[in-house]
Amino acid sequence: MRRHLPPADLARDARFVRTSIMESITDPRNRAIADRRLGPARLAPDRPAAADRARNLMHGIFMGELQALEGAGRTTFDFDDDEAPFALKLDMARQCWDEARHVEISVRLAEWMGTGIGEFAEATFLYEAACADDPVLRLCGVNRALEGLAIDVFNTMRAFGETAGDPVLAFCEDWMLADEVTHVKMGSDWLRRLTADDPERRERALEFQRTVDKLFSLGGFRGESDENPVRLARRLRELAGFTDEEMDEIAALADESRAEADARAGAASA
Amino acid sequence: MADPRAPRPAFAPWDRRELPGLFDVETSARRVGAYAWVEMRLFEALGGWVATVPELDVKLVLGRHCYHHAWHAELWHKRLPELREMDPARLVVPGDDAVAELLAAVAEPEAPERTIEKLVGVYRVVLPRKIAAYTYHLAATSSITDAPTQRSLRFILTDELDDWREGEMLLQSLIETPEEVERASRLQAELEALVTRAGGIAGPGSIGGAGTGEVGGDAVPSPPG
Repeated sequence: MRRHLPPADLARDARFVRTSIMESITDPRNRAIADRRLGPARLAPDRPAAADRARNLMHGIFMGELQALEGAGRTTFDFDDDEAPFALKLDMARQCWDEARHVEISVRLAEWMGTGIGEFAEATFLYEAACADDPVLRLCGVNRALEGLAIDVFNTMRAFGETAGDPVLAFCEDWMLADEVTHVKMGSDWLRRLTADDPERRERALEFQRTVDKLFSLGGFRGESDENPVRLARRLRELAGFTDEEMDEIAALADESRAEADARAGAASA
Repeated sequence: MADPRAPRPAFAPWDRRELPGLFDVETSARRVGAYAWVEMRLFEALGGWVATVPELDVKLVLGRHCYHHAWHAELWHKRLPELREMDPARLVVPGDDAVAELLAAVAEPEAPERTIEKLVGVYRVVLPRKIAAYTYHLAATSSITDAPTQRSLRFILTDELDDWREGEMLLQSLIETPEEVERASRLQAELEALVTRAGGIAGPGSIGGAGTGEVGGDAVPSPPG
């Protein structure tokens, strides 16, 4: 088996359909939906099409968990012991098990919510963040940026489950949330340990994280206003090792990402 | 209630543990280092394969088992300094050159249509050999002086037996045609030849036996009486 498996080679069965994140963001239908002015975009049971949107999000969570499993697995294999310390690989192996459980939970929840594997398309941007050739960049891109997003998503879904009176959803999201805080903390700890004497490498890793964070804001998908379906979970992120400044920066990136997506969608529909 | 000041033996009447064991400290450490090396290569291969197998159930099992082997490697790494090996890297090596060849051959398949080959190497060759070596170690070492190793062996064997069963069942569910049977058995035979040449998963003497040089009698002779 070769080291560093490109995203195009991710193995899938016949149910999966692949798309690109740019296709999703610039989909002209997004503009049409926005123009309907249905009120705040926040995920809430009384919103129009709330059930469909929750199912779509659940499928996205499933795909994210699957790619997180694959990314963590590759990090155990892609590097020599001198490139990635044994203890880091142990953490990644642990994350493999956690993500495998999350996939199991997501599949069951998706069925529970009335959707199934392959009903929505898969973008591989999450796994792409796990393809960096420096393990520190992977930990920043995946564990801090992506798993950070997972904290925001699961917190939003848990709240949605509580408001909608769905204890199964709230229960499962609560458990996954606990694991995600652990994964983000792993990323924060390894970033500190591996770059303690290498500020340049640290800055490269943080820059990669910013890029991924902006991408993961998905044109306003995540933010701090009612226009963002997923809210930034500041308290939980703090537990995972994020500083206030870092969270402010993510919020600003999210605003920026939304403005850019609006402009793109406007251009596409013009 | 019995008189609490009445003398009692150190060993309860039902405690049949004995001092003698076949391994001295150095032998036990050498074996533990060889185990750690195999567990590391195994968790890396399983982790790497997750992205390469299209079968969703296999992906998830590999993800779970990847952590099991990582945890085993961690237990062995922690045990080495307790066996007077303060530089674990010195002993975390393959038990024989052929073991290194074996694990490289096991990790070689990558293509998505080679799931059977991936599973055969792990679940029909490496895990049965590990179970054998661990079982031998558990039975042969002193249950008093080397009790910490035995404790780890018991935890690990529980995982190994469960994982072997699960992997074998996955294989049985994937192998459907005579051609697939042939693929599986051909690779198994090739890998078996390698591990046989190695003398077992931990090198010569993995499960004892004559002429291995590993088992020279009791490392601690039986005390008189």
